[in-house]
Amino acid sequence: MHRVVVTGLGVIAPVGRNPSEFFDGLIAARSGIRPVASETIPQPHSLVAGQIDFDPSRYFLAHQAAQLDRATQFALAAASDAIVDASLELTEQQALRTGVYWGTGLGGATSIEESYRNFFVGNGRVRPTAVVMGMNNAAAGQISITYGFRGPVLNLSTACSSSASAIGEAYRAIRGGYADVIVAGGSEALVTLGNLMAWDAMRAIAHADPFDPSRSCKPFSANRVGLVLGEGAGALVLERSDWAVRRGSHIYAEIVGYGNTSDAFNISKPDSAGQVRAMRLALAEAELMPDEIDYVNAHGTATQIGDVVETNALKEVFAERSRPWVSSTKALHGHLMGASGAVEMVASVMALEHGIVPPTAHLDVSDPSCDLDYVPNEARSRELRAVMSNSFGFGGMNAVLIARRLPRIVR
Amino acid sequence: MDQGTMETLNEIKSLAAKQFGGESDLIDENAPVDRLGIDSLGFLEFLFELEDHFDISIPQERIAHVRTLNDLATAIDSLLAKKQATAN
Repeated sequence: MHRVVVTGLGVIAPVGRNPSEFFDGLIAARSGIRPVASETIPQPHSLVAGQIDFDPSRYFLAHQAAQLDRATQFALAAASDAIVDASLELTEQQALRTGVYWGTGLGGATSIEESYRNFFVGNGRVRPTAVVMGMNNAAAGQISITYGFRGPVLNLSTACSSSASAIGEAYRAIRGGYADVIVAGGSEALVTLGNLMAWDAMRAIAHADPFDPSRSCKPFSANRVGLVLGEGAGALVLERSDWAVRRGSHIYAEIVGYGNTSDAFNISKPDSAGQVRAMRLALAEAELMPDEIDYVNAHGTATQIGDVVETNALKEVFAERSRPWVSSTKALHGHLMGASGAVEMVASVMALEHGIVPPTAHLDVSDPSCDLDYVPNEARSRELRAVMSNSFGFGGMNAVLIARRLPRIVR
Repeated sequence: MDQGTMETLNEIKSLAAKQFGGESDLIDENAPVDRLGIDSLGFLEFLFELEDHFDISIPQERIAHVRTLNDLATAIDSLLAKKQATAN
């Protein structure tokens, strides 16, 4: 069994377009959520989303960008930052042992939606790139092609836990000796008219806060009214620890545990039993006691029921006298669906690295059913030994990741 | 080469420059398209634009032997001529 470390981080999210901007934004509780523009929803509306001011020309030539869905553009931007951060330079032989494990809920949803709109109500023509832009594995393929990674490739789609599972499976693949390096993460771009309408029809998303739209997402607060969609991508370079040490890489953290369970309960309603099992499996694999986890980046979507179910699960796993700090950064960046696990793992690893826990923003009214220490509204500092990141997807699909600081002797 | 072809070719070159970057005067119309840095998917996208621009449909069999932008201009000219004849 090999040990697996994180040597590169990349993120493009509503709060920041690189890891340091992103983490600084989380610490300062800077919201990336704002009203959805009229170009996206022409009719009057009160919907908000975590959105990125993204200039593709900073990353791609025009004709390249024209062949990449918005989500894939995010994926390549985040992967590029992570690969540069890790100073990854591979020989031909090493490239054969380097892979891409990616997660996304709906892949190239923007392209699919545009294609169908054009076909049904536009000029009746579908672009020749519709298939390769829309397919769910486009981002994984484009990252592999761009960097010549010829090792194992997987694209996972388990709704909101997609990229957490991708990171967990990548960790297992390296641990088991199937690859030496894997770029793992996820991407999503769902701030589209059709998708927003679908979520609104489910009555699952928050409408704009009447006083301040940027404060519309309120995890664990009694006045929470639902999740807010977000877009973006997160990427981590995972590699065998002996490899990373030999080449002198900066090591952010060691991935030590991954729990994956299914609720087998309901397609949309979460169940704390499945979440508890996922957290316990991750802890067992990490060989850590619950009281050694100092911070949990919660799934915390700000739905009425979801936040209570997760709170109950956390209370079952962590004994009352030694409960970790818990926060949901979704208040600031929104719910990035398939990308959320990766983006929040980047936040968790940076929290570990800096010894700073980002707050749960917009937590103004305490809810008796949500009674943990959610680090409300203001970041806190302390040395963190290990962190947990929770991701729970529709379909009852749970993925929990644990990272810890490497002992100084290895660092 | 007749005048019509020259005009079509120039339009094609200017559209190619717009889509793939570069200057239309510097595009070699006799070079194989892949040597112009246009991959197969990019070429399909380009055909899509040309169909819109010339308001024609380019059947697969008409481009099976197209290797260069010059070949493409010839194919499009014959399609334009056919369209003109049908309109009359």
